[in-house]
Amino acid sequence: MMVIKNPTVRKILKFLIPALLIPLVIIIGVTLLKQKHYALVASFVALLSLLLFVAGYEKKKTGSRRMVIVAVMITLSVVGRFIPLFKPVTALTIITAVWLGGEAGFLVGAMSALISNFYFGQGPWTPFQMFAWGLIGLIAGLLSVPLKKHRLLMALYGLFSGMAYSFVMDIWTVLWYDKAFSAELYWAALLTAVPYTILYSVSNVIFLWLLAKPFGEKLERIKVKYGV
Amino acid sequence: MRGFGDYNPIAVFVCLMSCAGIAVFTLNPVIIILSVIGAAGLWFVRMGTDNMKSHLLGAAMLVVLPLLNMLVSHKGATVFIVINDNPVTLESLVYGVFSTMMLVSVLYWFRSFSQIMTSDKILYLLGRVSPKLALVLSMTLRFIPHFSRQAKKIDNAQKVMGLYKEDNIVDSAKGKLRVFSVLVTWGLENGITTADSMTARGYGTVRRTSFSVFRFGRSDALLTAVTLLLLGGCVAGMAFGGAEFSYYPKMTGIPRDISSLIVYICYGIMTLLPTVIETEVKLRWHSLKSAI
Repeated sequence: MMVIKNPTVRKILKFLIPALLIPLVIIIGVTLLKQKHYALVASFVALLSLLLFVAGYEKKKTGSRRMVIVAVMITLSVVGRFIPLFKPVTALTIITAVWLGGEAGFLVGAMSALISNFYFGQGPWTPFQMFAWGLIGLIAGLLSVPLKKHRLLMALYGLFSGMAYSFVMDIWTVLWYDKAFSAELYWAALLTAVPYTILYSVSNVIFLWLLAKPFGEKLERIKVKYGV
Repeated sequence: MRGFGDYNPIAVFVCLMSCAGIAVFTLNPVIIILSVIGAAGLWFVRMGTDNMKSHLLGAAMLVVLPLLNMLVSHKGATVFIVINDNPVTLESLVYGVFSTMMLVSVLYWFRSFSQIMTSDKILYLLGRVSPKLALVLSMTLRFIPHFSRQAKKIDNAQKVMGLYKEDNIVDSAKGKLRVFSVLVTWGLENGITTADSMTARGYGTVRRTSFSVFRFGRSDALLTAVTLLLLGGCVAGMAFGGAEFSYYPKMTGIPRDISSLIVYICYGIMTLLPTVIETEVKLRWHSLKSAI
């Protein structure tokens, strides 16, 4: 961070923000506010988590090679979002996470959302998209060992992440429209989104099935050749 | 003499986000109407009335969503008609109308935001928070045209070598896939070269600074300060229970106490600021041109 230069203050903040701020925001939001502003709370939590990740990433020493590789993967997934109907963003996020680790996966997911929204339109949904896609990458990074081994498992993960993405984004849609969470609207939103959900999941599975092996080989080769 | 879009990105960001932010988290009809006026004003003063087709989505939302809400949500005391034991109520219709107006106004705040905040400005903003992420962002933005140019080259080379033709679908798809595969390998290798070149020039040895053409002058500071002050007024008024409004089961009257009035006035001025700045500049240009 540019603003905070004192290392001890930064250290304290790094500890304080996750341990105190996020639960605090949730508690204040749910109990103290007179009207139930769930949308406000959800936005703050998403933004805080993103900031937290950025702060952690900023502090860590990542090699420049690794950073550029991540930028390349982001570029590919941003460009891939222009393919009509079938979007390889989630698949590329998962592939990056499996071969380069969860942090790289989070970055690819979140930054692809941010950058491709320059073309598809920024909105209050941008932090949520960043968060949702980032999380898909982060979790894939945690599961990298079994996912790498079994192709079917990876396809299954793609299927579920496509559904989960839709479910999470619909929660946001309902919160935005209705402030408080309403189950009827959520069902309505989910139902209208069914074709998209199927499309997401199917394209994730197809892209993972097709791309995982060649991409894995390429990333593995780069890792071996240059020691990223 | 600068239009709203030419202010420092920080000032523009703070102003637009405050306008949209307050609107997202309220249901009060007065605030929603103020938000619609401000958002529409800014868009039309900046962009004029050409490309009216792009407003179809917003118009369609205004028609469809209230009706949908009326059919889905059955809360509310004033019943129009009962369909399959589900009451259709006045409250859910009014709620739908104002909710959708809020959605559309926020969409338009963000439309202006996207239009003003080009990627270089986002880069400037991000560079203040995280120079490293800003570097990733700028590399990506540079890679996009770089990659598409390289893809064209690879494609040409493959065709010239007679590896595939475009008149056969299977052949063409296979060829395109090969081009993509070559592009990825090349991209990764090229990336390594870039990274090594960066390291060789001393990247990572000192804290990274980023160049920007934006100055934070007096007028930027003024705009930011005024916006933050008004935002503070809104938040304080709302914290004291001002501008609360609920639709169910029966609509409450529009609140008119002191704290609500403060919220209305602060928010009204805040949302009109961008439009006023834009209009002032336009008018001044106009009078200068006519004086020639």
